Amino acid sequence: MRIGVIGTGFAGAMHARSAQGLDDVRVTAIAAATPEEAAPIAEEVRARIESEPLALCSAKDVDLVVVATPTHLHADYAIAAAKAGKHVFCEKPLARTREQAEAIVRACEDARVALAVGHVVRYFPEYQIAKRMIGDGTLGKPAIATLVRGNFPVGSARAWYLDPEKSGGVVLDLMLHDLDTARWWFGEPARVYARRLHTGASGLDYAIATLRFADRPIVHIEGSWAEHAGFRTGFELRGDRGMLVHDSRAASPFLVQAPGGAGSPAMMATPTLAESPYRRQLRDIFARVARGDRPLVDGREGLRSLALGLAVIESADSGKVIEWRA
Amino acid sequence: MAGVKLRVGLISFAHVHAAGVARTLRALDQVDFIGVHDEDAARGRAAAKEHGARWHESLDGLLAASDAVVIESTNADHRRYTEAAAARGVHVLTDKPIATTVADGKAMIDTCARAGVELGIAFPVRSSPAVIALREAIAGGMLGTIRAVRAANPGQYPGRWFGDKKAAGGGAVMDHTVHAADAIRWLLADEVMRVHAELGSFVYGLDVEDCGILTLDLASGAFASIDCSWSRPQTFPTWGGVTLHVVGDKATVDIDVFRQALTHYDDTAGRAKLVGWGDDLNTRMIGDFVDAILARRRVPIDGEAGLRALEVAIAAYRSAEMRRPVDIAAVRA
Repeated sequence: MRIGVIGTGFAGAMHARSAQGLDDVRVTAIAAATPEEAAPIAEEVRARIESEPLALCSAKDVDLVVVATPTHLHADYAIAAAKAGKHVFCEKPLARTREQAEAIVRACEDARVALAVGHVVRYFPEYQIAKRMIGDGTLGKPAIATLVRGNFPVGSARAWYLDPEKSGGVVLDLMLHDLDTARWWFGEPARVYARRLHTGASGLDYAIATLRFADRPIVHIEGSWAEHAGFRTGFELRGDRGMLVHDSRAASPFLVQAPGGAGSPAMMATPTLAESPYRRQLRDIFARVARGDRPLVDGREGLRSLALGLAVIESADSGKVIEWRA
Repeated sequence: MAGVKLRVGLISFAHVHAAGVARTLRALDQVDFIGVHDEDAARGRAAAKEHGARWHESLDGLLAASDAVVIESTNADHRRYTEAAAARGVHVLTDKPIATTVADGKAMIDTCARAGVELGIAFPVRSSPAVIALREAIAGGMLGTIRAVRAANPGQYPGRWFGDKKAAGGGAVMDHTVHAADAIRWLLADEVMRVHAELGSFVYGLDVEDCGILTLDLASGAFASIDCSWSRPQTFPTWGGVTLHVVGDKATVDIDVFRQALTHYDDTAGRAKLVGWGDDLNTRMIGDFVDAILARRRVPIDGEAGLRALEVAIAAYRSAEMRRPVDIAAVRA
């Protein structure tokens, strides 16, 4: 399978690198906002630079397009790729608005191409173990779950994150992982209540959301771009027969210290698995697409998780409890 | 004033905190631990013996011998014991929550004010050196404007009467909300204006809730959440904990009040246990109360603070019932 990647930020670079060495997969073309931006990654993975991202969507040497651009541009490229008959792997969130996301899903269904959405947490072993322990009753019936996910104010690194019209802020960019995880673990919530602050230029963006499922559990989620020490994740999952706890800060097998104090924090924790969850995600998506199977997180799943993120924003903006219908 | 001691009595061993309070009263230099009364005479007599204190069969007898009392009864009994003490001119330190209803809490404040006795509320989180340091950092502007707080006071289900709605006034919300609500008010010098809550009775099969997430809007425009759940399993290495995640414009701070602990892998118990080595918060809190009375100052944590925190818990119950946020003013009247 020949892969074209649009976008060379954190996600695009990660996907281009992670695809290296996968069986029957080759990254053939890389595009970014400018050819200069695409060049370093293209050189590293020995792919050609496509100077025009829209041209990559219909390029003859591409079977699947990875859309890893700023969020508000996902729809333009995903729809163009689908119309050209290419399979699509789109980073989360699927799009900035519900209308855009629905248009992507429709375009891919009409063109009968696969659409996968990058909810990569479903490929993280600590979250998979939790899913298993919920499913097999090890923890008993779920009662209450708290999930946290934070990073430094990422707008200081890439300005488009600062613009809520482009990124959707911390809710759509970061908290969405745990909103998707809550749906994956427990199904669809019954109602949503949230609070958020968004400070604009400083990049500080912080939100909390409470999801109530019809019977149980209650889920509380924090999404933070106020973790100045850098990326971290955690959860506490309490059932009526036990509790499972994850804290990335206490889970690192090694810690690095350097003279001169802390510089700017790393964007993500150092990988400490033989195969990173990002690579597992790609391998699974490419294998399913090659077999003609539905991706694990398909367009409809991506759309529902986006809609839940939009409900969080709606509750935070209105101060109202939002009744949730998936 | 050197050598002057405050004569302090302890009322009731109904509460899980009572034994620790008795040890503290015995240990404090400035306290003369005058004795114990308990509505359960057998329990009180045994506890008095265990802690080397005099047993008082009659409440009046204990009050007559005391300058101040600490109340460790059920929540519902706080009012009657407080009123009895005030009638005798005896100062009161009661465990939290101040009462089970806003009306009871108000009556206690009014009665003590009229009698000219102090009414103190046991919020030991305010005695944590880490929390005090955070308060100073906030007051000094080191965090900038505070925008959000995520607080958690999760614990194990305490058993006894804590799941009895009449005696406790509710479940996990009544037991654990008030610590975090008071800490937020005190740290930020702010007031809670609106409360949303999702509650559930999921773990212990109780008539009261054992799970709860509260979302608070504060007068300053900041928001906060409180996890008050009895979510810690019986196999958890300690009773629970208190954590605060505070987001300011200039810095984000994490406080884990009971982080100073060793892990004891106990083959006898068949599980691991945490062994705290931080300051004993009860000793600091009761010491500060006693010092204030001896110096004829107002007590550091008064009935008003207790009532404000109780209002948050009461509003949480109403919000969960109505499935929408509730203004604190609606439960104050």
